[in-house]
Amino acid sequence: MTTGDAPAPAAPVALYVHVPFCRSLCPYCDFVVVAGAAAVGPRSRVSSYLRAVAAELDLRADALDTAFGGPGSDARPALETVYVGGGTPSLLPAGAMAALLDQIRARFGLAPGAEVTLEANPGPDDRGDLAGLARAGITRISIGAQSLQPAELRALGRRHRPADVADAVAGAREAGIASVSIDLLYDVPGQTLASWTETLEAALALGPDHVSAYALTLDDPEAEGLTGPSGDHLPTPPGARRWREAARAAQDEDRAAGAYGLADAMLEASGYPWYELSNWARPGHQSRHNLVYWERRPYAAVGPGAHSFDGAMRQWNAAPLDAWMAALVSASGGIAPTMPPGGAESLDAATAETEALFLGLRLARGVPRNAVLSRIDAFAWAAEHGLIEDGPGERVRLTLRGRLLSNELFARIV
Amino acid sequence: MVPDAPAGGQPTARDRLACSVRAAHGVRYTRLPMSIPQSRLRNFSIIAHIDHGKSTLADRLLERTHTIDPRQMTSQVLDSMDLEREKGITIKARAVRIEYTAADGLVYGLNLIDTPGHVDFAYEVSHSLQACEGAILVIDASQGIEAQTLANVHLALRQNLVIVPVINKIDLPSAQPEVVMDELENVLAIPREEVLLASAKEGTGIAEILEAIVARVPAPKGNPRAPLRGLVFDSHYDQYKGVVTYVRLAAGTIHEHSRIRLMGSGAETDILELGVFRPQLVPVQELAAGEVGYIATGLKSVRDAQVGDTVTDAASPASEPLPGYLPAKSLVFAGIYPISGEDYPLLRDAMEKLHLNDASFTFEAESSIALGFGFRCGFLGLLHMEIVQERLEREFSLELIASAPSVEYRVTPMGGGPVLAVDNPALMPSAGEIETIEEPWVKLSVITPSTYIGPLMELSTNRRGTFTSMEYLDPTRVLLAFEMPLAELIIDYFDQLKSRSQGYASMDYEEIGYRPARLVKLDVLVNGEPVDALSLIVHRDKAHIAGRQLTEKLKELIPRQMFEVPVQAAIGSTVVARETIRAMRKNVLAKCYGGDITRKRKLLEKQKEGKQRMKRVGSVEIPQEAFLAVLRMGDAG
Repeated sequence: MTTGDAPAPAAPVALYVHVPFCRSLCPYCDFVVVAGAAAVGPRSRVSSYLRAVAAELDLRADALDTAFGGPGSDARPALETVYVGGGTPSLLPAGAMAALLDQIRARFGLAPGAEVTLEANPGPDDRGDLAGLARAGITRISIGAQSLQPAELRALGRRHRPADVADAVAGAREAGIASVSIDLLYDVPGQTLASWTETLEAALALGPDHVSAYALTLDDPEAEGLTGPSGDHLPTPPGARRWREAARAAQDEDRAAGAYGLADAMLEASGYPWYELSNWARPGHQSRHNLVYWERRPYAAVGPGAHSFDGAMRQWNAAPLDAWMAALVSASGGIAPTMPPGGAESLDAATAETEALFLGLRLARGVPRNAVLSRIDAFAWAAEHGLIEDGPGERVRLTLRGRLLSNELFARIV
Repeated sequence: MVPDAPAGGQPTARDRLACSVRAAHGVRYTRLPMSIPQSRLRNFSIIAHIDHGKSTLADRLLERTHTIDPRQMTSQVLDSMDLEREKGITIKARAVRIEYTAADGLVYGLNLIDTPGHVDFAYEVSHSLQACEGAILVIDASQGIEAQTLANVHLALRQNLVIVPVINKIDLPSAQPEVVMDELENVLAIPREEVLLASAKEGTGIAEILEAIVARVPAPKGNPRAPLRGLVFDSHYDQYKGVVTYVRLAAGTIHEHSRIRLMGSGAETDILELGVFRPQLVPVQELAAGEVGYIATGLKSVRDAQVGDTVTDAASPASEPLPGYLPAKSLVFAGIYPISGEDYPLLRDAMEKLHLNDASFTFEAESSIALGFGFRCGFLGLLHMEIVQERLEREFSLELIASAPSVEYRVTPMGGGPVLAVDNPALMPSAGEIETIEEPWVKLSVITPSTYIGPLMELSTNRRGTFTSMEYLDPTRVLLAFEMPLAELIIDYFDQLKSRSQGYASMDYEEIGYRPARLVKLDVLVNGEPVDALSLIVHRDKAHIAGRQLTEKLKELIPRQMFEVPVQAAIGSTVVARETIRAMRKNVLAKCYGGDITRKRKLLEKQKEGKQRMKRVGSVEIPQEAFLAVLRMGDAG
């Protein structure tokens, strides 16, 4: 770990592309998403989006060329991972995806064996042309199943049925996509430990390579001050706000903790050890893209609300789609694209060290033993309460209890 | 004109200071008040129940007499503190000199001494009234007489003030001036023909009020050639002028170059500045018997010029001081602590500074196992406590926590020995060491529409009150009298009174001495450790229910900890109630979002701040709200 010196910028090893389109909005989601006619049909904004994202990729690549040299030069390694998230990026036509990946390959470089993930929704009209997407270069798919209980899916406002998840997994396998992940949610209204067990069993029966299990988190981005003109979140619609209030009342800390423990035990026993707080994988199927975030390696990002990091500075695009597009595509085509609005913070050495600790501890491999010395009181406290343990190779990692209570430790080290 | 420049010499340091101070206040010398003979002086105050329109009437009097430039006129012009404007109340007395040309063509000097309306500040009211010969009694035309109206009128009559009754807000559709006149006649024996009708809001009746002040309020007495005697009725501290005393001259004359002596403290000083209130401070060259004004003393310690002291001339002093005031008596006590222990020196400094402007609260250092180092403070009442805390927080940028308020108990130890005064429940000796405990009682007057008699009787008797009398003020309103332990009154009685009467009832109280009580100390143990700041003194018969309510409330307010935490209420070693706060199970950022690390870090920083605002007791983190839990307990009846 670096301490003392201010962190130095570096070229990205990963790229995130945010695709902000969904058929309908889910009331718990606070990613940047537009839905309905803007997402599908004759008046959709997808083609203008594709022009804008191409412009942003070029602008970002130009800046990297200037700072670090062209792709493949010494200070400019080819990308190890690309993650196309959303939204529902599987709504994009396979041809558009191929063009996008071609541009990325040309302007950023794509290392041999690079991981290229696509987020997909399981519904038949959502999951897209998986074979075409695979031919375009997608190597990994992350399926937003959330639950495999019909009642829970309805309560969450999801459009798909449990059987669609199986179809999506089968479709991905048929298309030759090498790595398949399933996303699940716990602490959901109406969920019991029994229904959660059934969801986990049904998910495992589909033989995924990777499982993410997230706690349903009902935030209020307005209250956090994230929805201003340069904020990275859109305001929560009133309906979603009411839904979140009701759902919050139906959440239960003890049940959620039980659900997490259950998931960890079942997944571990089925050959999916945890590697990050919310992620479990078969050997060789950890999400390399997500590891870049937790390991604080540099990543670029494009699309509204997308976040990037160059080792010294964290930057984000503002959430509103119009402002993002207006900067990148002029209506008459005559004006050169400019960087979209957003915000940035540069990190000093102390903040970098803090981040390295609380991000590194999210991982099963933990952090080096000597890295905790600067926060010895907090770690002594954590050890006393059974939150941490020694791991292999002179490292410290969270226990199961420590994972569930990790903020208690992290809030003592920030 | 520059009145202070000595002819043919360099200005002295005192002159420069006085000039710079005046420049800072933007005083224009063209409006210097004129000298008016004693026979044409009138000193009066306005007494009213809260919200009956006292400050608006004062505004109108100032406007009508052109005392304040209309461009500088704001509403509630005499309430200059932010808190006063926000709460719509007067906290600190103010004075203002008005020059009024009456119908007889002569110019009169009217000194209006504004007074706080809330019962907590009766102490300040009595000081202000002592500087007056008359009082305007303002009564709301639709509300009628309220409990504090009665209290303040009795205070004024006790000091032989002439009362000028005014029924205000006659413009309101709900105004019932005839009914209010009946009330005044029945309850205060004020003849209806003396009553003036006004609407301060619309400006009607103001001329009649000004004429009535001139005609009815007697001129002050006192020989301007006798030795100087001036009563200090209030003071404030100014960083340039030192202690600025507000004085009413009973005899003699004071000049701008006088050297004065405070007869009580013995302090002597050259006057920095002499003046009157317009309402900002405007210098004058002299003040004579009967006048009201200020003296900037330059004294740095308020102890040298306390309220109630007598100012005299150092060269030819009076032989006897004026009868002073009884010191302010604290009725309500609480600990005030900085949330961050490092702020203790800042808090001490703030306490000392605030005390210069409000001598009516007391403070002394104390320490609490739970809260660290802080101060035990005495207040005139609960509102006063709230105001002092808010002023300390706002004016000195401090984050404070106050413990639950308490009264002062008198404890006779087992086997004799001196009686102890205990104002902090944590310091109450254990039951085995106590022979008797006595607690202060009050006479409580409640005025209410008769429809709420039942609920208010119930409220008061549940609080150990005894009903003593009921009197009809008019066919629909009654005056109820109770005797009640003060301790029962200070814990949200007023809020309950308002809520059970839909806001219509008003109350006032006065102390009636100590009475023996069957009280016990209820300790609270969190995770087995007693938390001194949560101790409570309760009546023996209510100890169990209070213990249960307190532990239930604490269970709600104390967040889950890393381990299971029992919360117990105990009398001595007997546990009377217990709740368990379950161990925390989950606090994790387990949400699906990619590279937004900034937000994650901010959420963690926010959690860290939340932790820092909590007080650590043993290994348990207790939020501030928990220490006020006792205030929010339901009615233990």
